[in-house]
Amino acid sequence: MAEGPAGVIIGGWPYVITAYSITAVALALNIARLAARERKADREKESDSND
Amino acid sequence: MRNVATGIGLLGILLLLVGSYVGLFVAPPERHMGDVQRIMYVHVPTAWIGLLCSTFAMIFAVAYLWTGRNRWDDRLVGALEISVILGGLLLVQGMLWGRVTWGVWWTWDVRLTTSLIMFLLFAGVLALRSFVEEPLRRATWSSVATIIAYVDVPLVYFCVRWFRSLHQMPSSPETVHSSMIIPLRINAFAMLFIAIWLIAWRARIESKSRGAERPPERIEIKGALNG
Repeated sequence: MAEGPAGVIIGGWPYVITAYSITAVALALNIARLAARERKADREKESDSND
Repeated sequence: MRNVATGIGLLGILLLLVGSYVGLFVAPPERHMGDVQRIMYVHVPTAWIGLLCSTFAMIFAVAYLWTGRNRWDDRLVGALEISVILGGLLLVQGMLWGRVTWGVWWTWDVRLTTSLIMFLLFAGVLALRSFVEEPLRRATWSSVATIIAYVDVPLVYFCVRWFRSLHQMPSSPETVHSSMIIPLRINAFAMLFIAIWLIAWRARIESKSRGAERPPERIEIKGALNG
């Protein structure tokens, strides 16, 4: 990684954007997974009560 | 109760957007690390709330073993899952930061190693749950395994004080500049609210799924009647 004149690390933005993006995607995927799982649980409960 | 949890979750998402905006575009770059230090505004809250969720999981495990009530097992699953997600994110964010500041994606430093072990242990408890079909045994075994896995959590937090480590000491208002504290705190509350929401949501799903599960005796009786 390149350093600026005063020893400051420069060019870290792609890593920063990747870290925030991965966090956002992981949380969004988990929310979507829980929504799908709840729909499935509701269907199973409904079919169980119909039996 | 469901609406309250969803409201907390939506507030958490809103706070995460605000905190990330402040961390990315308002807070100044750090003196030595420059802009890459901005990863801290998501990495540190992920670590704090990940460790807190692991502690929740341990408390729920003890509560289940103490009372035998299913509601604690439902919450245990929720806390375990969010602990594993935040633990995985913690490792990935740390690797990105390490690549820029230390020059390597990974090193067997004591903080990194104990964090990896914590992630694997809690993921292992979830794997154990998926192998056990009998509900009572599944809840008991996963509670015991969670308590055993939790032994690593204090190690993760205190290892940088107890051993020589590349990783910096735990952040606190005394060690962080005031302009960097605001996005850190906003994102910490955001992660906490999102974690509470996801734990409550997962617990509700587990409770519904348990309702759909039939005890073996009932199936046998029904089969006997049909026969």
